[in-house]
Amino acid sequence: MNHTSRRTLCLTLLSALALLAAPFARAQWTVPTPEELSMTSQPEVPGAAAVYLFREETTEDKFHMFSTYVRLKVLTERGKEYANVELSYAHSSEGGSTDIDDIQGRTIHSDGTIIPFTGKPYEKLVEKTQGVRFMAKVFTLPDVEVGSIIEYRYKLRLGDNWFRAPQWYIQTALYTRKAHYSWRPTSKQLISSEDGGLTNTISWTKILPTGTDLKETQLPARSFEDGQYIFDLNVHDIPPAPEEDYMPPISSFTYRVLFYYSPYRTGDEYWKNEGKRWAKSRDKFIGPGPIVTAAVHDLILPADSQDQKLRKIYAAVMKLENTNYTREHSSTEEKSQGLKEVHTTDDIWTRKRGNNDQLTALFVAMARAAGMKAYLGVITSRDRSVFFRAFLSMSQLDDDVAIVNVDGKDQFFDPGSRYCPYQHLEWKHSQTTGLRQMDSGSGPVETPGETYLYSKTTRIADLTMDEHGEVSGSLKMSYTGSPALHWRQRALTGDDESLKRELRTNVERLMPAGADIKVTSIEKLEDYEQPLVVNLSFKGNLGSATGKRMLIPADIFEVNAKPAFPHEKREIPVYFPYSRINQDAVRIKFPPSFKVESLPTADQMGFQKFALYTLRSESTPNSFTIRRDYVLGEIYFKTEEYAGLRSFYSKFENKDQETVVLTTAPAPAKPTPAGN
Amino acid sequence: MRKLHLSISTISLILFTAIPALASRPDSVPDWVRTAAQQKIPQYPPDTNAVVLFEDTIYSVAPDGSATEHFRSVVKILRPQGRDEGRIAVPFDKDTKILSLHVWSIGPDGHEYAVKDSEQVEFGYPGQGSLFMDLKVRAAEAPGRDPGGVVAYEYEQRTHPYLTEKTWFFQSDIPRLNQSFTLELPPGFIHGTVWAHSRELPAIDLEHQRWRWEMKDVSPIDLDQVELRPSESSLEGRMTVHYAGPTIQSPTEGTWQSVGQWYQALAKDRVVATPEIAAKAKELAGDKTDFYDKTEAIAEFVQKQVRYFVIEMGIGGHQPHYAADIFHNRYGDCKDKATLLVSMLSTVGVHGALVLVDHRRGVIDPEAPSIIGDHMISAIEIPKGYNSPKLRSVVTAKSGRRYLIFDPTWDKTAFGQLAHNLQGGYGVLVEDSDSQIIQFPLLSPDLNTIRRTATFQLQSDGSLKGTVTEKRFGDLSEGRRDLYTSSDAKEQTKFLDRLLGQDFTTFTVSDFKVQNAEALNKDLTTSYSLTADHFGKPMGPLLMVRPRVLGSEALYADRKERHNVPINLSETMQEQDDYTIELPSGYAVDEIPDPVKLDLGFASYESSSVVKDHTLYYTRTYTVREVTLPADRYPDVQKLSGVIAADEQSKAVLKKQ
Repeated sequence: MNHTSRRTLCLTLLSALALLAAPFARAQWTVPTPEELSMTSQPEVPGAAAVYLFREETTEDKFHMFSTYVRLKVLTERGKEYANVELSYAHSSEGGSTDIDDIQGRTIHSDGTIIPFTGKPYEKLVEKTQGVRFMAKVFTLPDVEVGSIIEYRYKLRLGDNWFRAPQWYIQTALYTRKAHYSWRPTSKQLISSEDGGLTNTISWTKILPTGTDLKETQLPARSFEDGQYIFDLNVHDIPPAPEEDYMPPISSFTYRVLFYYSPYRTGDEYWKNEGKRWAKSRDKFIGPGPIVTAAVHDLILPADSQDQKLRKIYAAVMKLENTNYTREHSSTEEKSQGLKEVHTTDDIWTRKRGNNDQLTALFVAMARAAGMKAYLGVITSRDRSVFFRAFLSMSQLDDDVAIVNVDGKDQFFDPGSRYCPYQHLEWKHSQTTGLRQMDSGSGPVETPGETYLYSKTTRIADLTMDEHGEVSGSLKMSYTGSPALHWRQRALTGDDESLKRELRTNVERLMPAGADIKVTSIEKLEDYEQPLVVNLSFKGNLGSATGKRMLIPADIFEVNAKPAFPHEKREIPVYFPYSRINQDAVRIKFPPSFKVESLPTADQMGFQKFALYTLRSESTPNSFTIRRDYVLGEIYFKTEEYAGLRSFYSKFENKDQETVVLTTAPAPAKPTPAGN
Repeated sequence: MRKLHLSISTISLILFTAIPALASRPDSVPDWVRTAAQQKIPQYPPDTNAVVLFEDTIYSVAPDGSATEHFRSVVKILRPQGRDEGRIAVPFDKDTKILSLHVWSIGPDGHEYAVKDSEQVEFGYPGQGSLFMDLKVRAAEAPGRDPGGVVAYEYEQRTHPYLTEKTWFFQSDIPRLNQSFTLELPPGFIHGTVWAHSRELPAIDLEHQRWRWEMKDVSPIDLDQVELRPSESSLEGRMTVHYAGPTIQSPTEGTWQSVGQWYQALAKDRVVATPEIAAKAKELAGDKTDFYDKTEAIAEFVQKQVRYFVIEMGIGGHQPHYAADIFHNRYGDCKDKATLLVSMLSTVGVHGALVLVDHRRGVIDPEAPSIIGDHMISAIEIPKGYNSPKLRSVVTAKSGRRYLIFDPTWDKTAFGQLAHNLQGGYGVLVEDSDSQIIQFPLLSPDLNTIRRTATFQLQSDGSLKGTVTEKRFGDLSEGRRDLYTSSDAKEQTKFLDRLLGQDFTTFTVSDFKVQNAEALNKDLTTSYSLTADHFGKPMGPLLMVRPRVLGSEALYADRKERHNVPINLSETMQEQDDYTIELPSGYAVDEIPDPVKLDLGFASYESSSVVKDHTLYYTRTYTVREVTLPADRYPDVQKLSGVIAADEQSKAVLKKQ
């Protein structure tokens, strides 16, 4: 049977069934139960705005159609928002258009009154470019009250020659009582519109609650056709997706079943072949070509060691404009500058600019041109998600890193993260996984982590108090590792003025209110191998005064800190972006009219072997000094460790709030305004 | 993961094409762009993002009253933050077709660019789930939009056919060097101008019904770093041209009366009540005879039972839907809700009127009549001789008629009150020939309150245990009412944890109760038991205790620079705290904070700590009486801010005996 005859048959069948199905479908509303009508809450989610009573998504490849049916109970005022529905679709002149039709809906009041949706959905333009119009059908259900059941259904249709495997996102922001998902896939072999490859396999990735399983059946074969496969899934009592502070990037791990057409039979086969294809295509871009090779020749000396060569190359790439922090240049702009389209790293070097991934590829190209073994890695950025090998999609790998063999050992580099120090990775690229190029094809990769010593923040206050309690002096903030990279990259998005403002505001938020703080100088902003140093001036009041005492926060850099973990309960693990060490030193000199009455006692506390806090104090007749160290050596804490972690945080947060007590001689004017 | 084999056939997977690649074009920029780009610019402060080098608007009215706008702009980018000026976006809808749009730029290196039509894109207005508008923007990104680059564009566009005024906004957040506005009218047409937030400039008569206004070196209104700032639009200068001619039915002639009449013509058939509307209004009014009770029932129905959902197409941006449709669907936008309220009231013998407002105080200038505004509320006429303390937001018109001003869109404002952002501002009362500008009253601070009372026992280890009750009324209760009526239990717990985290490091809460969350005219009352470890800080023999145990009213006024910007205190209000702390045995009070008393007229702050019977009593009252102050009062505001901050952190010192 050839392609054409099969298509004709398919079209005919679709039309016949559509005619039969339409009147039948219109009758398919669900009669609400008395309990559904009268319910005012769902015990598992007290106070929830709404719950899904039922959701159904069915996909019939034969009809190129996705059907969605929703029954939702409105429980609060906010729940009324779910009556507003916006359904996306798109028209493309190059095929692959979608459409939404057969929208039906109704509202049922808690007394059983039914108000049908009789309006016409509005056609809304989302975005229109050459050849493509992204649209939405917008409607809202009538007369929705708290207590109403909202019910609607619609069909999303693909073009006759187009198929799309369904993706069932089962866990949403709302509690779901019941849901049903079904897919009747085509038995035809498909060609991917992405790469033109033939597909003969259906794969899927599933994350489902315990006890729930995807049901797969095959109807008996008919005539010359294989029996129809059917995928069915019934779920019930699905809680809303979790949402917590300090949450691991697990938004990609809510309950779901993701199907895809695939030419591969196993995950290993997928990653091996797709990895190989990726590695090859990247090699084509990397080269190195003659321009890069010549540039490297000029840059390095034959006598340089591998490390010396690579440092020179790294420094050269770091000097280039990274357009992720400035802006992409359109091809119009580049062509008018006599530049051709970007095809290779030669084009990037010629431009002296590129985005994160282009600059990483350029670094690999230059390392290769220097005679070194250099590879590209593609990983899942840890600020966004976690690599999930069972999910057969390259789309989860979003950022590139470089791997270069230096003196026989593979080292990781992050030249696409401008100002990242040599041989280090931006935190979101560390301790994550993905794929890497190898001498033959590709393989898995795990990026290294950094110790707490890498990311260090030092805050030093050297202040002098006058007889009225007003304090002035200097602050010095030093940043290395991740915090330094943060500030250096912030600088790239603005100018000197905006950086100074951001730095000042950042320190103002730490310190007692009302102080006059100014950035006096910024050192080593572009010298990314050195600590970034910010010097500031401070003038203002610290703490509070009583009749005969001055009470000053022990660590003035922590005076505005709030509890990191105020919630007693926790459902998911705790996750920090990177391990770190913070060191504070505060010295305040005071005039002879003051005396230290009390200082915070020295203290040290830790949590397991992963976190440590120390506070020390000392005084002289005319000054006191507080030193505080905080070390976080781990970034991930299991839910069962939460109570201990929270207790550790609470203890040192309380210690931070202790005060230095100075007594005053019968005093000059009070620093606290008393009004009239 | 599992697999399933398919048999053979041929089809494709879906793929949306990406935005098309842009192509080059060797065009150069027009002379007017080049001329503007070549001019020398003054020295601006380093935080100036960009400067308008040239802007020219020509507004041409045709004999049938329709109009087209021809606009040209040249902007120079001065710093990276100014790159956004290179993103051109021209809004349009079905009535305001863009006849042409051209974008050019000159890069910092002198390269000249022209953006092709095919490189322009169109976007719909973001819906955010409760909005359908046919408003779109045509947009383009200019090449070379880097510091030192120049971006220019020119468009011609039809204007809404039902408008008879045009506003020229000649001030913005960046400086403007040269700008002009030209009006072209057909024979027989007349015009007038009104000016807001600016002195009036004379027009240059170009003859043949053409007039031109020119401006140079207009300073920016950049409030980015200004604390307690008003809306930019309440300060930016603008000129509105009103025009009229034989073909224009109901022009806005530069008077508030004509603005009201213009709107009346748009809305008059929309407020007509149907039998269903009348039946519902009668059902709600029931046998209530008291004016307040009757109108409250209907107003609360519209406020709470008619969902906010915007559908605007063309003139729908100004004209409400029919009351019958709004009533049937039970949804609508602000003008729909106001319209339905007026319609329903009319069926029970109560007269109501629409009121055009702007939700940002100060944007409507009483000296500059125009249709400028972004919101609609209602005015309910109060019967002669009727008085009630429940009627708080009352305005008396020039005619002597009294109106209760009510906003049915603001779903947490009690009937009888008015949201704080409207108080002290102006609105256009739409009352046919009695249409006029009205000023909304500033409500008394005691109609917008927080009152906290708490009783605690302090232990010698510094832990604190007690009960807290907090009552909120007015706008200060709005956020909490929303939280307790719309958020789930988890969100409510998180909120409370974060709130208490502002004042305690380790704490537990129990017996949490909420009362009157839905009853807007009653105090929203929350109460709970609280245990806070380490509240008192032992320092050797001393124990430091903060008498202001919880709740902060900090006034953020740290920035020293103000640049003559009026001060926006946001709302009149009163906050009172009354805390009792039973002190631990074995400790004596060594020091307590001095009392504070400060009255600056626009606000006052008073607090005291007293020890009696080994118990510390802390009380404070903070009252704000004004919402807008001249810039020269900023030192007073900073003084107030300092006093509050110091008092909130002040400590009592207990000494071990």
